[in-house]
Amino acid sequence: MKRSLPRRAIDRRGILKGIVGGALVGVGVPMLEAMLDESGTAFADGDPLPTRFGLWFFGNGVRLSSWTPTTQGANWQLPPDGELAALLPLKEYVSVVSGLNVKTPRHPHHSGMSAVCSGGPHLKVDNVRDTIVSTFKYKSVDQFAADHFQATTPSPYRSLEVAVTRFRGTDEGTSFQYLSHNGSQNGETNINPSEESPQAFFDRLFSLGTAAPLVLKARASVLDVVAGQIEALEKRLGNRDKQRLDQHFTSVREIEKRLSAPLAECTKPGPPGDFGDVSGNEQMAEKNKAMSDLLAVALACRLTQSYSVLFSTCGSGVIMWPAGSKDGQHYMNHTEPAPYTKQHESVKFTMGQLAYFLDRLKATPDGAGNLLDQSSILVCTEHAEGWTHSQDDMPMLICGKGGGRLKGNVHFRGTGGTTSRALLTALRGAGLPIGAYGYEAAATAAPIAELENL
Amino acid sequence: MALAAVAGSVSGGCTGELGGSQRPDTPPTTLDPETTATFAPGPATIHRLTAVQLQNSWRALLGQDVAVPPEGALPTDDQAYGFRSIAAAMKTISPVEAEEYEAATYAVLEPIFADGARRDSLMGCAPTTTDDPCVRAYFERFGRLAWRRRLEVEEVDQLVAVTKKVSEYTASFGDALKFGTAAVLQSPNFLFRIEVGEPVGPEEPEREGLLRLTGVELASRITYLLLDAPPSSAILDAAESGLFDDATTVEAGVRMILDSPEGRPALVRFFRDFMNIARLDGLDKNAEQFPAFSQTLGVSMRSEIEKLFEHVVFEEGGDFRSLFTTRSTFVNEELARIYGIEGVTGPDLVPVSLPDDGRRAGLLTTPGFLAMNAHKTATSPTHRGRFVRIGLLCQDVPPPPIGVSTVLPEPEPGKTLTLRQRLEEHRLNDECKSCHQLMDPIGFGFEHFDALGQWREEDNGLPVDVKSDLDGKPFEGAVELADLVAELPEVGACIARRFYQHAVGRLDGKGDRPAVEGLIESFVSNNFDFKELVVSMVVNDGFRYVAVPKESP
Repeated sequence: MKRSLPRRAIDRRGILKGIVGGALVGVGVPMLEAMLDESGTAFADGDPLPTRFGLWFFGNGVRLSSWTPTTQGANWQLPPDGELAALLPLKEYVSVVSGLNVKTPRHPHHSGMSAVCSGGPHLKVDNVRDTIVSTFKYKSVDQFAADHFQATTPSPYRSLEVAVTRFRGTDEGTSFQYLSHNGSQNGETNINPSEESPQAFFDRLFSLGTAAPLVLKARASVLDVVAGQIEALEKRLGNRDKQRLDQHFTSVREIEKRLSAPLAECTKPGPPGDFGDVSGNEQMAEKNKAMSDLLAVALACRLTQSYSVLFSTCGSGVIMWPAGSKDGQHYMNHTEPAPYTKQHESVKFTMGQLAYFLDRLKATPDGAGNLLDQSSILVCTEHAEGWTHSQDDMPMLICGKGGGRLKGNVHFRGTGGTTSRALLTALRGAGLPIGAYGYEAAATAAPIAELENL
Repeated sequence: MALAAVAGSVSGGCTGELGGSQRPDTPPTTLDPETTATFAPGPATIHRLTAVQLQNSWRALLGQDVAVPPEGALPTDDQAYGFRSIAAAMKTISPVEAEEYEAATYAVLEPIFADGARRDSLMGCAPTTTDDPCVRAYFERFGRLAWRRRLEVEEVDQLVAVTKKVSEYTASFGDALKFGTAAVLQSPNFLFRIEVGEPVGPEEPEREGLLRLTGVELASRITYLLLDAPPSSAILDAAESGLFDDATTVEAGVRMILDSPEGRPALVRFFRDFMNIARLDGLDKNAEQFPAFSQTLGVSMRSEIEKLFEHVVFEEGGDFRSLFTTRSTFVNEELARIYGIEGVTGPDLVPVSLPDDGRRAGLLTTPGFLAMNAHKTATSPTHRGRFVRIGLLCQDVPPPPIGVSTVLPEPEPGKTLTLRQRLEEHRLNDECKSCHQLMDPIGFGFEHFDALGQWREEDNGLPVDVKSDLDGKPFEGAVELADLVAELPEVGACIARRFYQHAVGRLDGKGDRPAVEGLIESFVSNNFDFKELVVSMVVNDGFRYVAVPKESP
């Protein structure tokens, strides 16, 4: 028996208030053997093991001729020196999606970013013709998944966000700085910032529930008053500001709810420490390892069911020194002559970092299998190839077995449909009972059946 | 669909070939060309405090000696259209940020409330129970300073009530007061600067339908603009008694602030955003190619530009144009090395006069400007020109069309070219030309300066060529270009307009046109004195009136 998403729209506040006041608070406890059925694939009451949804983003596109598998269907094969080579040991868990396009109105970087991460258009903020600042018009796909999970099997954290490389844009809006977005109706910016420091991420996760119970009660009382102040203030404001304060209200309630979540079953790892530059080089692999390790623990402990990893931003200027680059990646993309060797090496390196994360999930037991069995992870980037800003034939991966919903090791090549098809498929892989996804020109009701076991 | 229409004009680029947008005869400008006589400001909104404003607000409330978390431990300020102030009017508070605010609030309050003497001094009394009337008096007084308005009776009731409730959980009554105070400081009334406004009275028929900021809202607007700090109790008193309705009084107060040392940092931060030089702090250049590069150099470069601005505005008579022409600047040892100036040692910036050799003058030849608008190994005439075009002239440049390769062709084997020669492709190729002509010719003027801002005679072994033109006006090299820029009416208009945007926390729209034009006129008639621009802004209608927001209660 599977839980199903209620058909009607759910009142966010109603849910949160229900969670705070009700019995759902204890779900943060890791699963004990006793709670599982004999096969280890479901809880004893028949509910399936939770599937985690992940969004893993890297900036600036790929070199398509080396990215795209040479074969279609099961058991994909790579071109010579293929960019997915690092994923070969995990290929049973990795499906490749190619041949899908950005269908929303195009702008370099901005539109690709929103399309592959949210399934909708970017929102240009204010009436400026060219030099635009943008945010996401619709929530990113990790938040869509989080809505579902929190309404059905809530976790202490609605979602977790981490970043690996440190470059952030400053001129172009949230699309170039952040990954996880809550959508914007009127130009307000509503994002979930990614934690950039492994140590800060560690402190945040593993200090939970460590304060004295009476202090937690006092903090909860204060937050309750603050929530009341937000509601009172909203009554004096226009619609746009109400939406901003709605998010503030939700954020405050999130803390309040977590204060009473017991986390004693989590095995606390050692602190990751700092990752300063070595010889002027950003320690990307080391930081990726630390973040991946922490995230695997957080997922095993069921601190959240939805997360995002910003490996590098849209249009990132990260210096891909392991690939021999001395300049920022975005600039390199616009100056490196064919055959774009450094960009190619950068993508190979990046896929190596993804492989580490996936391997870490695979090595983490979960039920009768491992975390990667119980995951559906969308991997994407905002361009096909950076030097032309192309947004056709977008490079996308769907990783994990989705609790048995996803086949793995399939290359599906579309014929120009919307990239939202991959988002829909990844969400279904995480157990969301949806048949359609995406917005405006990017909406679709066509999941990629070739990737699914359903 | 509106968005598709917008995107159509965007992909039209500078030529109008793709999406039907008109090719401008003059460089495009973001200012809406349609004139309107009717003043129609943007809607009332709430502004999230920036990290600096939050720190200063804690200090104002709790004592200047209070230990506040560093900026890095507080929610990040974004920049929108360059300004933190504009992003602040767009931001909400995400779950992780709410956690950060909560942790910071307790970190700030803990040492005060753990120390009986400090707590009593803050409260002005030594209560032992919530029934002590001084508890109520404290929340009324402290709440008014924190929320920058008088609290409603019920609001005070709630703060007293939560303190009482929490006192059942806590070891000491002092601890309970800490939690009660935390309810004031985690409130949206503190973390946001709230502007609701009040309907204009019948004495202003021409403003009918608009809202006027209340006295205390205006007082907050002024102090956060000029000081990044909240109004004091005395200023709130003055605002409540209607003194802020009188422009002469406000002007006098603003001049007092501008003449004091406290009046400088917030305006320097405006200029930091205007120039987008905060990113210099993370400046990264190839160390092998540039031995003069260091991890601290970017911060030094930013400090130089900020000191230069401060010097011109507050010490040298205030004419903004001299920012482009002055040979005064400030260097420390590592900056002196970039300039080739001898005899300066240590990390502190000291005033120097640049030699009169025609190589450098003012802002546009600072290493910070030159290095920031260049790449890690190479210069970028395009980026340097783009900054002048967009950042200093307030004009617009479209992005490259999608599907067109932005990679310059490689020179023929065995042929050596300068970057400028390679950029000829931008002039010859129609797809590139229409937009790059807005940027590259300006940028060629800076080719005597490498990617770190050091003087050079050659690029790639060939002599550099710095003869070019700015919209038809010929110049040779950066100093002549800077002279031209200083005299362009667009430059003065641009900074006035950008200051307007910063002060109101949004881009100016069509309805702001009369207010913006008035501000520009006043700036020009005051000989581009930046301090006078600030004074004019504070008494400008655009600073005092707001529209009713959509779907208001």
